[in-house]
Amino acid sequence: MNLERIPNEEKLSLCRKYYLGGFAFLPFLWLVNCVWFFKEAFVKPAYTEQPQIKTYVKRSALGLLLWVTVLTTWICIFQHFRAQWGEVADYISFTIPLGTP
Amino acid sequence: MTAAVFFGCAFIAFGPAFSLFIFTIARDPLRVIILIAGAFFWLLSLLLSSLVWFIAMKASNAEDTKVQTGLLIFGVFFSVLLQEVFRFAYYRLLRKANEGLAAISDEETSPISVQQMAYVAGLGFGIISGAFSMINILSDTLGPGTVGIFGDSQYYFITSALMTLAITLLQIFWGVVFFDGCEKSRWWVIAVVVCLHLLVSGLSLLNPLYEGSLPPVYAITVLMAVWAFFASGGSLHNLSLLFTRKILFVLQLICFVKM
Amino acid sequence: MGPESFRWSYLLLISLFYSYVSCSSVEQKIYIQLNNTVPCVRLLNATHQIGCQSSISGDTGVLHVFESEADLEWILTNGPHPPYMVVMEAVFFTRPTMMRMKNSSRVAGVAVISSSTAPSEGFSPHTRCPNQNSGVYGESYGPELANCNNTVWNPLGNNLSYEDFAFPIFFLENDNQTQVIRKCYEDHNVRVNGTAPEYPLCAMQLFSHMHAVTDTVTCMRRTDLQNSFSINPEKLCDPLNDFNVWASIRPLNSSIKGHKENESVVIAATRLDGRSFFWDVATSAEGTVSGIVTLLAAAQALYPVTQEAPPPRNIFFTFFQGEAFDYIGSSRMVYDMQNAKFVIDMDNVHSLLEIGQVGLRNGSNLWIHSDPVSRKNSSVNEEVDKLVKNMQSVASSLKLSVEEPGSSQALPPSSFQRFLRARPIPGLVLADHQSAFINRYYESLYDTPAYLNLTYPPDLSPEEQLEYETEAAKSLSEVATLVARSLYTQAGGDDQFLSNITADTKTVAKLLYGFLIKSNNSWFSSLLPPEALGRGSILGTGAPQYYIGLRLDNTVKSVTRFVQFILANMTGTVLSLNQSQCQNPNSVPDQSKDLYSYSWISGPVSANGTAESYCVRASVRLSKALSPAFELLEYGSREYSTWTESRWKTIGARIFLVASPELEMMTLGVGVAVLIVSLLVTYFISSKAELLFSSTREAPATTY
Repeated sequence: MNLERIPNEEKLSLCRKYYLGGFAFLPFLWLVNCVWFFKEAFVKPAYTEQPQIKTYVKRSALGLLLWVTVLTTWICIFQHFRAQWGEVADYISFTIPLGTP
Repeated sequence: MTAAVFFGCAFIAFGPAFSLFIFTIARDPLRVIILIAGAFFWLLSLLLSSLVWFIAMKASNAEDTKVQTGLLIFGVFFSVLLQEVFRFAYYRLLRKANEGLAAISDEETSPISVQQMAYVAGLGFGIISGAFSMINILSDTLGPGTVGIFGDSQYYFITSALMTLAITLLQIFWGVVFFDGCEKSRWWVIAVVVCLHLLVSGLSLLNPLYEGSLPPVYAITVLMAVWAFFASGGSLHNLSLLFTRKILFVLQLICFVKM
Repeated sequence: MGPESFRWSYLLLISLFYSYVSCSSVEQKIYIQLNNTVPCVRLLNATHQIGCQSSISGDTGVLHVFESEADLEWILTNGPHPPYMVVMEAVFFTRPTMMRMKNSSRVAGVAVISSSTAPSEGFSPHTRCPNQNSGVYGESYGPELANCNNTVWNPLGNNLSYEDFAFPIFFLENDNQTQVIRKCYEDHNVRVNGTAPEYPLCAMQLFSHMHAVTDTVTCMRRTDLQNSFSINPEKLCDPLNDFNVWASIRPLNSSIKGHKENESVVIAATRLDGRSFFWDVATSAEGTVSGIVTLLAAAQALYPVTQEAPPPRNIFFTFFQGEAFDYIGSSRMVYDMQNAKFVIDMDNVHSLLEIGQVGLRNGSNLWIHSDPVSRKNSSVNEEVDKLVKNMQSVASSLKLSVEEPGSSQALPPSSFQRFLRARPIPGLVLADHQSAFINRYYESLYDTPAYLNLTYPPDLSPEEQLEYETEAAKSLSEVATLVARSLYTQAGGDDQFLSNITADTKTVAKLLYGFLIKSNNSWFSSLLPPEALGRGSILGTGAPQYYIGLRLDNTVKSVTRFVQFILANMTGTVLSLNQSQCQNPNSVPDQSKDLYSYSWISGPVSANGTAESYCVRASVRLSKALSPAFELLEYGSREYSTWTESRWKTIGARIFLVASPELEMMTLGVGVAVLIVSLLVTYFISSKAELLFSSTREAPATTY
C-alpha cells in the first residue's frame, strides 16, 4: 500500500492498528510500524494527525527495543549455558545440534 | 580461506556482466525482457545440442578414446553452430517484435533501436553461457582442495574465470556485430562471427594448455570490441570528441586550481 | 578448463537426467577419494564418551607422513603449515605419540596404515583391567580383588581405545591408495634440508562426524526427545546389541519360560566378540576365536556320545555376544534367568565351565581359574574341587597338564563373573595363562591368525588350506577334547564312554580357517541356509570381524549366524523333510518347534555343481544380547552395560592439493579489481553513450 495515496485519518488508524497489534507478542508489527511510518512521523510537514502517529511510532520503537534486548539477552544466556544445563536445556530446546554437548 | 578464491573467481567471471546489467539494463523493463528471452534462446540451443550429444554418447563406444575425442570436437562445433542459428532466430523474432512495438508506441518509432536490442540480446547470451560454464566450477572453488593432484595447473580456477569473462564479452560483441550484419544484409559479417565463435570454442580444446588459449581469445575479444564499437555507431570522431572534452575539462580544472 | 560447449551440455544433461553422474568432472580433477578406510567411531557409556570425531564438514590438514620420532616435533611445534594430517605406519601408533597429538591443536587428524608385522614388545589399546566395573569383584564382593588389585590381567593395556579424541583417526589398508598418498606427499610436502615445502601442498580431509555426545544418558534422552517432538526424528545412538547362541544336549521347551522341573544343566560358555581401536576391525584370533573354535569342536565331539549314553545332567552350550563391552550377552542371559524370561533359571544351573583364551599354550600348561570368594562357602568349594579333580584326571589321560593358579587369585575377566554376581555357583574358567594374559595383543589389530601361529605352507589353494591341519588346529583340538570330556564327567556321564569323545582335528582346522582366514569357503557355505548365500551373502570376502556392532532391523551379525548354523549341524539330526515341511515343522507329526529349531541347509555342492539341501533339527537358539539397562530404560546404570554407538552420516577420506594463501589472495585481488574497473568503465560509457554512439538515431547503451 502506498502511504502517499491514502488520507491522513486512515494513516493514523493504520498506524494505531499496527501499534496495538504489536502487543499480541508480535514485535515484528512494531518493526514494520517504525520503518513504514517513520517518514510520516518525523519527515513530513506537520498535519493534524502527525503528533499521534509520532507517539505510536515512538512507542513501537520502544517496545521493539525492549523485545530485542530481552531476546538477545536470553539467547546469549541460553547458548552459553546450554551444555552446562544438560537435561533442562534439552527439554527446552526444539532442535538440538548434532555432535555438540 | 578458499572463500577468497570463490569471490575472486565470481567477481572476475560475472563482475563486468553485473555492472553492465546494473547500469544499462535494470532500469528498463523492456530490456530486461529482451535479456531474459535471449538467455532463454541460448538455453534452447544448449538443450538441442545436449540432446544430440547424449544420443551420440549412447550410440558410440565409450572405450574408444579416438572416437570420443572426435565426438567431442564434433559436439563443440555443433553446439556453436546451433547457438548461431538460435541467435539468428532471435534476431528474426526481435525484428517482428520491433514492428509491433513501433505500432503500439505513442511516437511512430520503436522505443528501442536494433543496436540496443543487439547489445541486450548479446548480453543475455553472454550471461547465461557464462553462468553455465562457470557455476559448476565456482561450487568447487569453495574448497578445501584446488586443482593439481593429477598434475594439472593450479591456475585452473582463475583461468576458467578469465575465460568465462572473455566469452561473456564476446557474446555481447558477436551479438552486436551479428545483428548489424543481418540488418545490413552483409552475409560475410555473419560468416566471420560464426567462424570466430568456432575458433574460440576450438581454442578451448587446447586446454589444459591455457597459455595457448587465453591470449588469442583475449586478442579476438579486443578486436571484436573495436568492431562492435563501430558497428553500433561509434566513430573515431566521437571518441576524440569525448576525449577532447575530457581534456578541456581537465585543463579547466587545472586552470581553476592554479587561479 | 574443459572445452566450453562440452561442459555446458554436460551440465544440462545432469539437470535433465539427474542422478546420471554423482559428482562433477571438476571435483574429479581435485579430489582422490580413499576407499579402503575404517574410522574410529564414538562409543558412549553411562558416564563417558570414547573414540573419535571430525567436525561436521570434515577435518582438513596438510599431509605429513610420520617416519620417525623427529617428525613429531615438526608436527607439534616447528612445521609452518598447521594443522597437520598425520599419516603413520601402525608401528608409530602408540600411546605416548597419540596423547601428545591429542593435546595439541596442530593435529587435524591421523591416518594409520596397517602393517603386517606386530610390535614385538606387545600392544594392547584396551584397559589393563578389562571390564573392571562390571565384573563380580567390588566393594561388596571380594573388595581386595576389585580393580585387578591382585592380578593385572592385561599389563600391556594402554587404554588408548578408551580415550576421547577430538580429531578423526582412520585406518587405511596398505594398498595402492596408500601408495598414492605417499606419492602425493613426496611430490609436494617433503622437506628439503629441513626447510618448509612450497605450496601447493598435499592435504587430506577426513569425515567422521558423530551425532551422539557426552554419554549414553544424554544421547538416549535426546533421541527420545527427538522422537516425541521433532518433525524429522533422528536417532543419535543405538545400544550395542546382537544375539547369544545357545544349544543344549537334551532339548528344552522354549515356549515355557522360567524354572524347569528336574532339569540340571552344566553350562559351557565362551565369548563371541572382541574389539580393537577402530570400528569393525577386530580379528580377535586368540582373544575370541580360540574359544569359539574349541567350544564348537567340543560340542561336536560330545554329540554322538550324549545320544548313545545321555549323562544325567543336561549340557548347555552358550556363546555370549558383546562381552568386550561390560558383558552384554551374559548379563542379559542372567537377567532373563532371574526374571523367568529364559528357558531355564538360576536354580537349574548346576555348574559352569568357561573357555577363555586357549590358543597360545604352546604345549605348556592350561590353567583353570576359579573364584576364591565363592569358594569360601564349603559346599561350593567342594563342588569346585570336584570339577578341578575331574578335569585334571581327564587331562592326565590326555597327557595334558592342567593346573590351578594360587588359591587367592581372582577370576580373569569372564562371563562367569556375571553368573557369580547373581549366585555363587561352582564353575571354572579354562585359559592358557596363569595370571596375566599371555596374549600380548589383547583387543588390538595384531591379534591375528599369524599370532595364533595359524600359518599355511605356501602354494596351497584355498580349498587345500581349508583342509590343512595346522599346529594351531592340533593344539586346539586337544583342548577341545579336554573340554568335551570334562563336560561329560561334569554332567555326570560315565567314565567308560570318555574314550569315545575326541575332537576332530580336521574340523578344528576348518573352523579356524573359516573364522580367521576366509569365511567364504565351501565348508561354511555348505552349512548355511541357502538364503544366507547368493546375493547379499553373509559370507564376506575376507576374515569375519568380531566387533559386536548393532542391529538396526533385527538382522543377526554374520559371525553369530555362522556359529548358530555350524552348531546346528554339529549337534543336530538330519531329517527327511522337504523344504516347506522344514520351515513349518508343526504340521509334521512328532516334530515340535518348541523343542527344536529346524533349519534348511544348503548342503555341500557336488561335482556337477548342484547342492543337496537338507533339513536339520537341533536345539540351537538365539537369545537377545541387548543389555538389560536398555530394557529397564536405566541409561545411567552401574549394574549393566550401557555402551552405545553413535550414529553418523558420512564416513570418508580424500586427498587433494591446497593452494597457497598468496594465490588465493591474488585471485581475490584480481576479482575485486575487475569488478571495480568494470563498474567504473560501464558507468562512464553509459553516461557518455549519447556522445559516443551519436551517429545513429539512438545509442545502444543509453538510458532514455
